[in-house]
Amino acid sequence: MKELKGHVDELFRGIPESEQKTAIMEEVLENLEEKVWDLMEQGKAEEDAINKAIVEFGSIEDLKNELGVKQPVKKNNTKLNLGFSIWGSIIIIALFVFMNFYYSPNVIWFVYPTFAILWWPLSMYFIWKRAN
Amino acid sequence: MIRSDFIRGHLDAIILRLILEKDRYGYEISKEISSRTNDRYQIKEATLYAVFQRLEKKELLESYLGGISKGGKRKYYTITTLGKAYLKESVAEWKVTKNIIDLFMEGLD
Repeated sequence: MKELKGHVDELFRGIPESEQKTAIMEEVLENLEEKVWDLMEQGKAEEDAINKAIVEFGSIEDLKNELGVKQPVKKNNTKLNLGFSIWGSIIIIALFVFMNFYYSPNVIWFVYPTFAILWWPLSMYFIWKRAN
Repeated sequence: MIRSDFIRGHLDAIILRLILEKDRYGYEISKEISSRTNDRYQIKEATLYAVFQRLEKKELLESYLGGISKGGKRKYYTITTLGKAYLKESVAEWKVTKNIIDLFMEGLD
């Protein structure tokens, strides 16, 4: 019957520990053992009986939902990313404007890097829009 | 074996009915379902325990530890008053549903 215990442990591995979990595991193990005894009384070899009981147990997914295993929720960071990209690009552009007018006031070149930088908030804007 | 998702929506009622008859434990219920349906429907134990959890949370069932088997203590389930009311409601609902489906399923091969 050790195998059975091992299998039940394996089944419940992904579920966070709780009193409820322990109780269900005990219940499941107890019932599975009874099933195995029953099958053995019907003339099955122990190994066959254990395998049959395990196979017929089915998938644990339903039980996971009931035990409140939350499907990981992906946090929506798109708004934060958009804000960061806007502030970041403003600061970088300001730096270029300053360099432009401080070191070479006769040639206006800051627009070129400005266009390149604007891709950043632009892409973040569309990612944010898609997420909403 | 029939498609189990047809039955899935009515499992609560099926299990409540079995527990209404007398207090039962998990394996007993799965055995009872198999034998009453002549093995045409076998409930997966994992599903069964999920139903127990759900019904207990909704306070339609209560459990207690009872008789000792070869392994350990069995966990028995008993139906609550709320559970009985719920079952009654389910039966009434099923009759209506059955009538409606029959309208379209009967008279054909």
